[in-house]
Amino acid sequence: MNNGFTRKASAILTYGFVGLMAFLSVFPFIWMLLGATNSSIDIIKGKILPGSALATNVSAFFTQVNAPLVFWNSAKIAILATVFTLAVSSLAGYGFEMFRSRHRDRIYSALLLTMMIPFAALMIPLFIMMGKAGLINTHFAVVLPTIGSAFIVFYFRQCTKAFPSELRDAAKVDGLKEWQIFLYIYVPVMRSTYAAAFIIVFMTAWNNYLWPLIVLQSNETKTITLVISSLASAYYPDYGVVMVGTILATLPTLAVFFFMQRQFVQGMLGSVK
Amino acid sequence: MSELQLKHVRKSYGTFEVIKGVDLDIKTGEFVVFVGPSGCGKSTLLRMIAGLEEITSGDLTIDGERMNDVDPSKRGIAMVFQSYALYPHMTVRENMGFALRFAGVPKAEIEQRVGEAANILELGPLLDRKPKQLSGGQRQRVAIGRAIVRHPKIFLFDEPLSNLDAELRVHMRIEIARLHKKLATTIIYVTHDQVEAMTLADKIVVMRGGVVEQVGSPLDLYDDPANLFVAGFIGSPKMNFLKGVVETGTDGRQVRLPEFGNATLPIAAKEAAPGSTVTIGIRPEHFGETGSASLDLTIDMLEHLGGETFAYARHGDGEMIIIETKNGRGLKSGDSIAAHFDPAAALVFDAGGQRLR
Repeated sequence: MNNGFTRKASAILTYGFVGLMAFLSVFPFIWMLLGATNSSIDIIKGKILPGSALATNVSAFFTQVNAPLVFWNSAKIAILATVFTLAVSSLAGYGFEMFRSRHRDRIYSALLLTMMIPFAALMIPLFIMMGKAGLINTHFAVVLPTIGSAFIVFYFRQCTKAFPSELRDAAKVDGLKEWQIFLYIYVPVMRSTYAAAFIIVFMTAWNNYLWPLIVLQSNETKTITLVISSLASAYYPDYGVVMVGTILATLPTLAVFFFMQRQFVQGMLGSVK
Repeated sequence: MSELQLKHVRKSYGTFEVIKGVDLDIKTGEFVVFVGPSGCGKSTLLRMIAGLEEITSGDLTIDGERMNDVDPSKRGIAMVFQSYALYPHMTVRENMGFALRFAGVPKAEIEQRVGEAANILELGPLLDRKPKQLSGGQRQRVAIGRAIVRHPKIFLFDEPLSNLDAELRVHMRIEIARLHKKLATTIIYVTHDQVEAMTLADKIVVMRGGVVEQVGSPLDLYDDPANLFVAGFIGSPKMNFLKGVVETGTDGRQVRLPEFGNATLPIAAKEAAPGSTVTIGIRPEHFGETGSASLDLTIDMLEHLGGETFAYARHGDGEMIIIETKNGRGLKSGDSIAAHFDPAAALVFDAGGQRLR
């Protein structure tokens, strides 16, 4: 009797806590969806029911924002950053794991230490470097600093530990050079790792705000995150329009995630079974 | 012709030497098995032959041509790995033809060679499957097929049966022996399982600590081991070892066994110096109900295998002795027995473990 009561109370507390956390996680998303259907005044008043201003907000968004251009800018930056980061980081992870050297672990530790440096400390030197290279106000200035990602190199190296060394040996006996082993054996075998890294890097690049804000100065180069921010910081911000922009900005990352969800989960668990 | 020679071959990782000067001749068509305990260097030596490990010093020649710096794919070898090492993203057909594709072999010839290998190994219905859709035994056959299609001069097998269950291991062992008969190609095979070594090999190379302890045919090694290590390693259950002291008896040289109630047995080994400590080796099957030497033992435990019985027995608190007998069904734990043997079957080893003759 006593045991049963304790078990029930414990279950109620557990589910209550988990439910509250789930609600807190989903609430901003629901608010974004509801906000897109309400006028700015209703949103400020705290209305959290569906409204009738969706068409007005959507129309206002497309009037105020050159949507094709900003989405193209965001997509271009996210795709370039993802492709280059995956190429460089997977080669680095493969190299760190496969090739023995006396200094390998020292170099690797030094690389991991760079994860400890806050981006704020890098901003000014990076800005000066980009300025000297004449890249300010170009998309390359946004893409280049993201390519050498210590975290993604770390992720690839850890996943490469599960890559069977006998596959590499078999490929050598079959006559493949190292670059062929990487391209024809490693990449296909590790595709889940690539998928997981793709999602992480793509989302980070798509949502990147601070660095693009500093280096992208003309309207022609700005990304969707910068444009939404500028809408929200206007003298009279129209939050309904901001919510529409936020929904549209969320769609590509959602699509990428759902498209690669299975591979992502497998990649996080380890590509090689 | 595909003779392989190793001359003073050494391998070091920094200051740590793992292969300490190996000399070996392997003749065309021979089935050679490298056997030894874990860490003895047998797989390293095989990988050096394959070109997957650099040779620190010494020479590897195949058909008289020095191969130390030749690319693995150009040595005329094919290798079967312990984990099969099949490319998981390719079908069986693609796995088997992959090396040929990279060697620039025409498509039609690849198809023909893959077909031939599939026929030999009965892989025809599996050609379009991926490795994960195959059982362990099927994967092993694909790995062998991948080696066959290359028409190598020498096959290298690195513990190919270790991942299979006991029944399949026996089946695949027979398959490999049959394949060797059919292809008549040189095979170098690494295993730590001495039963595999005994059943498959024309020649066994016993290794320990990066050194070749003895090379010979399976029965030569069994009957005439060069040292205590080989005597103990070859044979299952292993040879019994009894500590003794050499004495001069009335009929010549004899060994007294203090741990076995000072029992004595005459020995023929002329190299055994009186007063020296030696080890006597007796195989479990050499004990019986007749023989001029005998040990008084008490049975500790019995293993009835149906056809034969293994009796584990001691004299007092001494060393355990294993006795193999065909007539052991009536025995039980605690029985006192006199284990007879012919002294001529006993091998004598000196204190350093070397055989005395």
